[in-house]
Amino acid sequence: MYRDRQRVSATLVLILGFMAVIATTTWIGVTCVCASELPAGVDLAGKPVDPLRTDAGKPVVLIFIRTDCPISNRYAPTIQRLSADYAGKTAFWLVYPDKSESSGAIEKHLRDYGYKLPALHDPQHSLVKLSQAQVTPEVAVFDASGQLVYHGRIDNWYQSFGHARSAPTTHELDDAIQAVLSGKKPEVATASGVGCYISDLE
Amino acid sequence: MTSRYKLLAGSVLALAVAAAAGGPAVSAGHIPHAIGAAVSTNAAPQDSTGRSSGHQVTFNRDIAPIVFHYCASCHRPGEAGPFPLLTYEDVKKHGHQIVAVTQTRFMPPWLPEPQPLKFADERRLSAEQITLIQEWVDQGMLQGRPADLPPQPLFVKGWQLGKPDLIVKAAKPFQLPASGIDTYWNFILPIPINESRWVKAVEIRPGDKRLVHHANILVDRLELSRKMEKQPGAGFGGMEIRIESELFDPDSHFLFWKPGTVPYVEPDGMALRLDPGTDLVLNTHLQPSGKPELIEPSIGIYFTDKPATEHPMLLQLECDAELDIPSGDANFVVHDEFTLPLNVDLLAIYPHAHYLGKELEATATLPDGSKETLIDIKRWDLNWQAVYRYEEPVPLPKGTTISMRYVYDNSEHNVANPNHPPKRVKGGNRSSDEMAHLWLQVLPKGTPDSDRDPRMVLQEALARHHVARDPADFEAHYNLGAMLQAAGDVQGAEAQYQAALQLRPDDATVNNALGAALLASGDLDGATEHLSASLKARPDYFDAHYNLGSAMASQGNFSAAAEQFRDAVRLNPQDANAEANLGSALAQLGELQQAKSHFERALQLNPGHSLAQENLQLVEQMMAERH
Repeated sequence: MYRDRQRVSATLVLILGFMAVIATTTWIGVTCVCASELPAGVDLAGKPVDPLRTDAGKPVVLIFIRTDCPISNRYAPTIQRLSADYAGKTAFWLVYPDKSESSGAIEKHLRDYGYKLPALHDPQHSLVKLSQAQVTPEVAVFDASGQLVYHGRIDNWYQSFGHARSAPTTHELDDAIQAVLSGKKPEVATASGVGCYISDLE
Repeated sequence: MTSRYKLLAGSVLALAVAAAAGGPAVSAGHIPHAIGAAVSTNAAPQDSTGRSSGHQVTFNRDIAPIVFHYCASCHRPGEAGPFPLLTYEDVKKHGHQIVAVTQTRFMPPWLPEPQPLKFADERRLSAEQITLIQEWVDQGMLQGRPADLPPQPLFVKGWQLGKPDLIVKAAKPFQLPASGIDTYWNFILPIPINESRWVKAVEIRPGDKRLVHHANILVDRLELSRKMEKQPGAGFGGMEIRIESELFDPDSHFLFWKPGTVPYVEPDGMALRLDPGTDLVLNTHLQPSGKPELIEPSIGIYFTDKPATEHPMLLQLECDAELDIPSGDANFVVHDEFTLPLNVDLLAIYPHAHYLGKELEATATLPDGSKETLIDIKRWDLNWQAVYRYEEPVPLPKGTTISMRYVYDNSEHNVANPNHPPKRVKGGNRSSDEMAHLWLQVLPKGTPDSDRDPRMVLQEALARHHVARDPADFEAHYNLGAMLQAAGDVQGAEAQYQAALQLRPDDATVNNALGAALLASGDLDGATEHLSASLKARPDYFDAHYNLGSAMASQGNFSAAAEQFRDAVRLNPQDANAEANLGSALAQLGELQQAKSHFERALQLNPGHSLAQENLQLVEQMMAERH
């Protein structure tokens, strides 16, 4: 089931339209990833970034969100809390798979929701494919060797559209991170999420 | 492009079926992942999917009319929908999601099942429409011929009925936190008018519409809810609020907002009266969005010169006392029924329960035995509660029995259950309590055999019903007492007030009412005792001062009477009766000059006040004789 990221070939396309936009977020930009076979998103300045290479050697969590998905927006405080809980031990990246979202809109979204995480745009859905992400919000957890060990929902807060529990009763993302940090495979490898379909964005 | 989507659509169906049948896991990215019932509910429309092969569904011809009619009123900038659905691109960007949410009937939000009695502005897709949307997505979301595209719906910008006559904003915005459970916040909106006005419409702008699930206005004629605020203008929390009214002035109109609401304009003769000193209390249900938000509601009021000639009334059935739901019980049923004492026209209905509600149903059994479903909700969802107005008024003759039957699910299976694990839940006002309310807006018709206000007839019957069901219903005892007193049954009224006082011995309202009843039946000592108790509980209570003044005067204690009337005049300087009575008490005490000025003041307030006229003449004669 688990796919080795090296075997995934995704074409890297630079989107020139984004070159003109200057990223002003607080995180540090990343040098260009030149090997075109590597999966990558682009940062908000339009530079390709491979989050797994950037944060090689520690677990990486990719979180797929979009600016106009009310469910992924409602998860912002949970995402912030989890990323703060594991700061330094696990790298968190926000990934915006909607190619029609501009860098400006993404930057505004980051500001509005108070995100202090690096953000990538994934217009080619190479990170989506790598992560097997289907809806926003979904997450992908990669262990320190870069292997996908969990993908799917953050927790079971939402049972279906419009039907949220007052609080989640299972915490798949948290469990997966803890497992990975203690050198184990997560007990749950995947659990489907409720949210906005990424397939609508192709 | 077209063919590519067609191919994909074909594989989507095949893979979804395979997955549902426990087939191999499918690679990600292209499959609209089915959530919950999204795939399984495909079963019903499959017929028509088969039938329609060969028919090409296009956005412009087939989908745009549905989306424009059912979705666009909320899914446009500034409205409740999280994204716009106004163009082909907008809709295509959410295509698979639209299939899923229409198939589960999460969207468009419309809780009632179809029924013969039609509701106005029904927002329910037919099975054929839902199938059509699915076919469109399966076929690759074709745009179609430009000529087929209907014009985008025109929406009025800003206030929906034009500039309101009066705009009232909340004094302080409410800061909604980024996360947490749903919040219920009440804003008090004082209405700055100097004279009584008639209101034909109220537009509620609840603040950011993406965050407000619903909003409700309650009319507070006595500024009583201000006591709930920690600081003036701050507003106060709470899901359910009750506002007392000491006049017989039953609530008559639903002032309700839900996403997509167009303000309702009352027909001529059905306006709502607003008096100076009235507060409107805006009760809002807010859902955190993921970031801190400011909620700044305002309302627009539209006046009319046409006073109310017909007086609707909100009729409430309830089963709160029966609500004691064991933990784990997935099928807890409560029931109430009420037989109409006169003919009414049913105008609108508002069923209400909290998070454990599952099925909410109301029926009317007519005198001839025939049954009408008034509302039937099979999957209650507090988040989408609404007032439902009938397309046409529903005539219900005297003797019609209105029944409500609500079913609650307090099991783990109910996702909305706030308790995990479930625990025993009783009836109450907090969001963690449960409720079983059914409100009906009815227009009572006059009874030929009585010249009583038909609302009083209805209120009395309702109060009798509630007292019989729940002898501990304080409010019902009080209301029944008030109705009996108005109908001239003083003894009956006294008994009901006594029963209410058994439940709340210190209540100012009931002590005043009982004191007034005893005063009318000549029990001056009893009257004095209860009126004094009322004033002890509420020293600034105009009515109790006025009544105690009358009791003192009846006992010949005019100095004590003058003192009470002075307090009454101070508390309400606009009351001609209090002025006239103060004048009379002072005249009895020989204070003719002072008495004269109070009679004159009473006549200023009400030039036709006959007692003040007569007494003024008398006092002037006496003053002339003295000289």
